[in-house]
Amino acid sequence: MRKTMLGFAGLALILSVTPAWVGAADSAATPDEVIAKVHEAVQYLKDKGLAGFSDFNNNKDARWVWKDSYVFVYSCRDNVMIAHPLRPDMVGKPILQMKDDKDHFLFQDMCKSGANTDGGWVEYWWPKPGEAKASRKISYVHSAEVSFKPDIQVGSGIYDDKMSVEELNKLATQAKQPKKDAP
Amino acid sequence: MTQTPNAGIVVRLKKTWETKIMSEQKLGNPAVVGLAGFGLTTLVLQFHNVGWMPSIGPVVWLGLFFGGLAQMIAGLQEMKTGNNFGYCAFTSYGTFWISLCFILLGNKYDLFKAGTEDVGWFLIAWTLFSIILWIGSLRIHGAMAFTFTTLVIGFILLDLAHFGYPGLTVVAGYELMICAFAAWYMMARIILNEIYGREVLPAGKPWVS
Repeated sequence: MRKTMLGFAGLALILSVTPAWVGAADSAATPDEVIAKVHEAVQYLKDKGLAGFSDFNNNKDARWVWKDSYVFVYSCRDNVMIAHPLRPDMVGKPILQMKDDKDHFLFQDMCKSGANTDGGWVEYWWPKPGEAKASRKISYVHSAEVSFKPDIQVGSGIYDDKMSVEELNKLATQAKQPKKDAP
Repeated sequence: MTQTPNAGIVVRLKKTWETKIMSEQKLGNPAVVGLAGFGLTTLVLQFHNVGWMPSIGPVVWLGLFFGGLAQMIAGLQEMKTGNNFGYCAFTSYGTFWISLCFILLGNKYDLFKAGTEDVGWFLIAWTLFSIILWIGSLRIHGAMAFTFTTLVIGFILLDLAHFGYPGLTVVAGYELMICAFAAWYMMARIILNEIYGREVLPAGKPWVS
């Protein structure tokens, strides 16, 4: 009986803690998740071609939206936002002249970093989903190969005040390493 | 009015005369439609490739009908003119467009999906095929040799674009616009030279004799 009581107590404890833990994890995407999602999106577009763009605008299955992050697709050469699951108003609009709250041309930075072989991280100010005020955001951007559509880039970011672009770039290169070393 | 006794002979003579006229009647050249469809569809795809036209939609529908169906039928009609080059080229490029459009549609509806590299292999096969016709084109006339040279270069650029150099899609785009206009030049030659009754547009000497 005592054992059962203890069991119940333990279960109650787990149950009471779990939602809080899940809640905490729910709040912020990690750099590893962002890198994995961007690579997944690059592969997805490579497999599906032009027809894959619309899936990124579709927020229903939540494949490209998780925690406080999401994947967006754009073209630097065409100067256009191709897909943004949370901001349909931006889709089809020019991006290169867009400035963030600190007057940076954020997409011009992204286009530069995305052109690197392993992609790159870019720091700018952007509101979290559902917020009006901009927070420091660091996004990982990477180019994607799509039939008959040159210069497509895919991006996704984290909201963080501390992490530096340098250490994140190192992380992104490491994430690609095992794939390259595989026989 | 009463019928003349030899009405039967008149009718028979008339029939023979009609048959004679029909057999001697000038046939249209199917190449005008083939070249029109080839050129126009190629041109519209390049509007997309260089980034002027954001959607690929018009390419899909034009590719199915003008570049596809119409060019393919023109190709089949070339058979009766005894022109094997035109027969093979128009029928094949007609079905190229139909297949390409179905690849794009298939990706949209998750039917036999073809990724970027898969499309690349599709294009490589067409490059190899085009090289054979290119060798033939060199001996036809200058305009044909020029069209096929630009076509083969365009295919090679698109191949590279699908295997690690996506930026070359744009280069291929401008290059293939030249190819499309060259095809239209040949179409214009056939039509205008006939209407004006003189050689308005020359074909140019074959590159290989």
